[in-house]
Amino acid sequence: MTAALEYRRAPARYLTARGATSTRLGSRLSGVLASNVAPLRLVSRGRQPAPDGGWARLRPLLAGICGSDLGMLTGRSSPYLFPVVSMPFVPGHEIVAETLDETPDLPKGSRVVVDPVLACAARGVPACRWCEVGQHSRCDRVTTGRIAAGLQTGFCADTGGGWSRTMVAHATQLHPVPDRLDNERAVLVEPLACAIHSVRRVDIPPGASVLIVGAGTVGLLTLLALRELTPAGATYLVAKYGHQRARARELGATEVFDPARAPRAMRRATGGSLEHPVFGAEYLLGGVDFAFECSGSSSGLDAALRLVRAGGTVLLSGMPSGTVDLTPVWFRQLRLVGSYASDGGGAPQDGQPSDFATAVSLAGDAPLSGYVDAVYPLTRWREAIGHAIGAGRLGTVKVAFDPTRD
Amino acid sequence: MSRPGFVLEVDERTPSLLVNEGDGFRLERFPLGTRVVYPPDVLPGLRDVNGAIRRALFNPVGSDPLPTLLFPGMRLTIVFDDISIPLPQMQTPDIRQRIIEQVLELAAEAGVDDVELVAANALHRRMTPTELKRAVGERVYRAFFPDHLRNHDAEDPDRLVHLGHTNQGEDVEINRRAAESDLIVYVNVTLTAMSGGPKSVSVGLASYRSLRHHHNVHTLRHSRSFNDPPNSAMHHSYDRMADVLGEHVKIFTIETTLNNEAFPSHVGFMNKREWEWSLLDQASYLSFKRANDMTPPKLRREVWQRSYAPYGVTGVHAGDPAVVHPLTLANVHRQQLTEVDGPSDIGIWGLPFICPYNVNSIMNPILVMSLGLGYFFNLYRGQPIVRRGGVAIFYHPMPNAFHPVHHPSYIDFFDEVLAATTDPAAIEAKYEQQFATDPWYIHLYRNSYAYHGVHPFYMWYWGAHALEHVGDVIFVGANRKAAARMGFRSASTLADALEMASDTVGSSPRLTYLHAPPLTLADVR
Amino acid sequence: MSLMKEVRTLTRGRDWRGRTRTPRSATAWEQPAPRKEFATGWARTPVANAVRLGLQRGLLKSVAWSQTRPVVEGLDYLDGLRGPAVFVANHSSHLDAPLVLGSVPRRFARRLAVGAAADYFFDVRWRALVTTLVFNAFPIERFGSKRLRSLAPVLLDRGWSLLLFPESSRSQDGWMTSFRLGAAHLCCTRRVPAVPIALRGTFGAMPRGRNWPVPGRRKIVIRYGRPLWPEAGEDARHFNERLTRAVARLWAEEDIGWYQALREDAKAVVVRPAGPPAAEWRRLWEATRPLRDERPRAVWPGSRR
Repeated sequence: MTAALEYRRAPARYLTARGATSTRLGSRLSGVLASNVAPLRLVSRGRQPAPDGGWARLRPLLAGICGSDLGMLTGRSSPYLFPVVSMPFVPGHEIVAETLDETPDLPKGSRVVVDPVLACAARGVPACRWCEVGQHSRCDRVTTGRIAAGLQTGFCADTGGGWSRTMVAHATQLHPVPDRLDNERAVLVEPLACAIHSVRRVDIPPGASVLIVGAGTVGLLTLLALRELTPAGATYLVAKYGHQRARARELGATEVFDPARAPRAMRRATGGSLEHPVFGAEYLLGGVDFAFECSGSSSGLDAALRLVRAGGTVLLSGMPSGTVDLTPVWFRQLRLVGSYASDGGGAPQDGQPSDFATAVSLAGDAPLSGYVDAVYPLTRWREAIGHAIGAGRLGTVKVAFDPTRD
Repeated sequence: MSRPGFVLEVDERTPSLLVNEGDGFRLERFPLGTRVVYPPDVLPGLRDVNGAIRRALFNPVGSDPLPTLLFPGMRLTIVFDDISIPLPQMQTPDIRQRIIEQVLELAAEAGVDDVELVAANALHRRMTPTELKRAVGERVYRAFFPDHLRNHDAEDPDRLVHLGHTNQGEDVEINRRAAESDLIVYVNVTLTAMSGGPKSVSVGLASYRSLRHHHNVHTLRHSRSFNDPPNSAMHHSYDRMADVLGEHVKIFTIETTLNNEAFPSHVGFMNKREWEWSLLDQASYLSFKRANDMTPPKLRREVWQRSYAPYGVTGVHAGDPAVVHPLTLANVHRQQLTEVDGPSDIGIWGLPFICPYNVNSIMNPILVMSLGLGYFFNLYRGQPIVRRGGVAIFYHPMPNAFHPVHHPSYIDFFDEVLAATTDPAAIEAKYEQQFATDPWYIHLYRNSYAYHGVHPFYMWYWGAHALEHVGDVIFVGANRKAAARMGFRSASTLADALEMASDTVGSSPRLTYLHAPPLTLADVR
Repeated sequence: MSLMKEVRTLTRGRDWRGRTRTPRSATAWEQPAPRKEFATGWARTPVANAVRLGLQRGLLKSVAWSQTRPVVEGLDYLDGLRGPAVFVANHSSHLDAPLVLGSVPRRFARRLAVGAAADYFFDVRWRALVTTLVFNAFPIERFGSKRLRSLAPVLLDRGWSLLLFPESSRSQDGWMTSFRLGAAHLCCTRRVPAVPIALRGTFGAMPRGRNWPVPGRRKIVIRYGRPLWPEAGEDARHFNERLTRAVARLWAEEDIGWYQALREDAKAVVVRPAGPPAAEWRRLWEATRPLRDERPRAVWPGSRR
């Protein structure tokens, strides 16, 4: 018998949550709604037998709660994603685990982080055009193959997910964790890999100015990736809470702003003129070269679009929600780029290390201590979800589950 | 399982914390990073207190069992701590009642006829008959009052005897009846590390001639702190006097310690850590606060004075004072001691409704000062929780009210002496002698229920160490005029107080809040 | 301070239940909350009893009997039975408890408490309330090394009969699995009889995953067996075996008749309820086969009906 948090198909609950959180009062009560209305339950599942060739059972040691998980629980995620998930699934895709079976590369009992994307290799189908060149985040075959539809482990009915005591993963998804990385840093490897992938999605020339909107896990790790891996120049970060600003300064941001102050401060930093429309937020005619949207909110994307220079690039790092006015994209001739998950390092001939490998090496040296300062057992999942939703306000960056604890 | 004391660091998840202020309390939101010192959890009290007393009397430490010390025809004096301890007052039956009854049983068995009971009140006011009855119990009261149960009179030359000088020239003069007894049985309640031990007889039964040697500015400035006897000049003086006493009288002391259960269960939230408050605790907090705020001040004072504490007794030890006292202190530390890492720029204390000298009375501004800058400031071991030159912030409304019967000399002290100067040394030099020998005050002390004329001076000296140590003193919510007369500043809110403190310690000071009551002794490294 | 400001200071940082998170520096001294089981005593008060009787007879029984066609057999075995008993049944559907509650004689139904899984029915307050009120349920912890003791012995002492499902979980494929020892242990230590009940057809009518019976009024058979008394000095394991065989016999009776079932049992063959050792689809196929229906025969064989 093993315990798992299971998300099951319940359109009525999804719609209720979505309707409730879109009101002003409802969005304040997101924590309560996500814990009680979302169709998430702690169930006991039977012990799974050892899967065959290429798959291994895992025992998650720490599983993080991501913004995309919270978006799904509050009903803010888009119906676009329904065909690429299969219910009932166990959420949790930021996983550091211990293997329970032998795989070709790793002995039993080794500590691994899981690359959650379920691409052609895991699905047992011939490689699609993207998987062939190592860009498995773009895999076209996420709804086919031996296992049920699911864009990632943590959204697939057949694999289980991090928020449980056992799950399965394909051998190609496993990356060993060096001993110098403790579990708290290892659980940050997956979001760090996504951040590295996002900064590699665009070509940042030396000295370019970059704005990061949002200072949760995604924003802070994007800042880290920018400063370590790209020749970016001035990096500005918009952060709502004091502790986030302190961490951003620690990671090397040039300047950190409060959201209310951002347009004026950007004008001072980059020049240009500040325009005030009667309806809507202020915007700059002028601005930064690149803007990374890492908050996942419509107001964050709005800010990013309005503070970037003509011809600049806005990169969507976090799963978007809500609606946004796209007029700036047309008028200022912007490039809107999306970034999802992480890749395996481009075509084999390029020789660039995979995003995950870079993340593992970066996670050891970066000042990431104290990022995971709230760890909950599975039985207290309602508190954990509530804490994750209010993480910024409560002074936490990442909340994780420890399924080994009772 | 009793958890030890610890230092909380206020972060985004900490709710507002409880602060006592006089006859009331409030929830205060402390800035991020404030350190809050919490005492250990309330220790469980002994289940069989009477059995523990009996065991202590029959198996004392450093002395023969009490029954062997009693013989027919002896002169026995039982001395007990007066109304200034414990605080708040204990629910009946008082521990002193239990002990005295057992001692008297043994005395009756041994056939002792000449027994006197004396309250060790030194220069404090006499205890009223009702207060005496509450302390010793109905049975003892009926058998001994008024001829053989009395208060110590420090101004009656016939009832005092001078026993000699210590090697530093300090007079030792105590109650005659006690000095001429065959045995003094002292019934003590040790609430903080300051009481008990050599202090009991040498101070409790002393006169002004004796007390002036240690109750002075110089000694108190060198008592760092007086809750840490090895480092307290005052306690060194007590030890010297106790040595002299030891040559003349035989003392069998019974020392008891109490746990931190100072509040009855219906205000149980006052003893709990704020993030562990249940819904019931929160509801009772809100209802008490509203009711308290709406009550007129006089009635409020009555209600608070009548809240008796359901203390549990954590230890009873009897025998030779020098051997018993370390055991008693160990129990006190077990309940109150918390380690703190270094001092900070600002120290914050919330002062409760009661101090040793306003039991069944009014806390006037001078008593507020002595409670804050004296008792609470000195709840440390090692060094104070605020650094030298830092700022001390206290919470108390400091009403400009004096009890005319209990504190007559205080009124004159406040109006005359403090208007001229607030420097303890100058006050001592110029005014103490006058007040100590003023015949009117002596008359009121002996015949009415007034504190001795010199007592307000001692209250002022109590804070002398603190006044020398800190740079500024701010009272939150205090009466402006009263605070100004004493040389302190008053602020309406904590934010204003911190703003005022920024002159002294800058705009981002480190704060430490001592979360007492319940009593906490901070062990500052 | 005004009342609103007071309330706001008090509730700042606390959620709607009045709870706040432990500050980071105090997490080392957190005391784990004691595990309290959901209080169900209120459901056994006279008022609650009356409400429940109304709900069960009026709502539960009428719905269950209208959505399925239950046939109740063997109630005559309970004729001489007085006092509390432990009713034991196989479990394959959420329909099981309503059907037993609706078919058991009134004198038992009035004093019957149902054992329900604590982790399933008592995890959320509202579900716990509804289950306790409608079924007079009490929580039984299924998993975990530090399980709380259930109320079952106390209830038996107070004269309440119990309905327990010793398989502890609904069957995945409709066939019977092994019985856990809890019910047998209760009977042996408290010296109360166990009444075996076999429920056939409930899996087909409303299996796992469905919240409403399959349309078409399927036939369901509720078969009561002779009460089993624990013998003096009998241990729980032995009694459990007897109990399992009794339920298996009642199960088999539906397929092969009473006498054949007895004969099979004499050869100690308890294979029938475990289902065929075949692939999963065949097990499910057999489990959902509609029960033999004694519809009236055509008067004229061969005529169209």
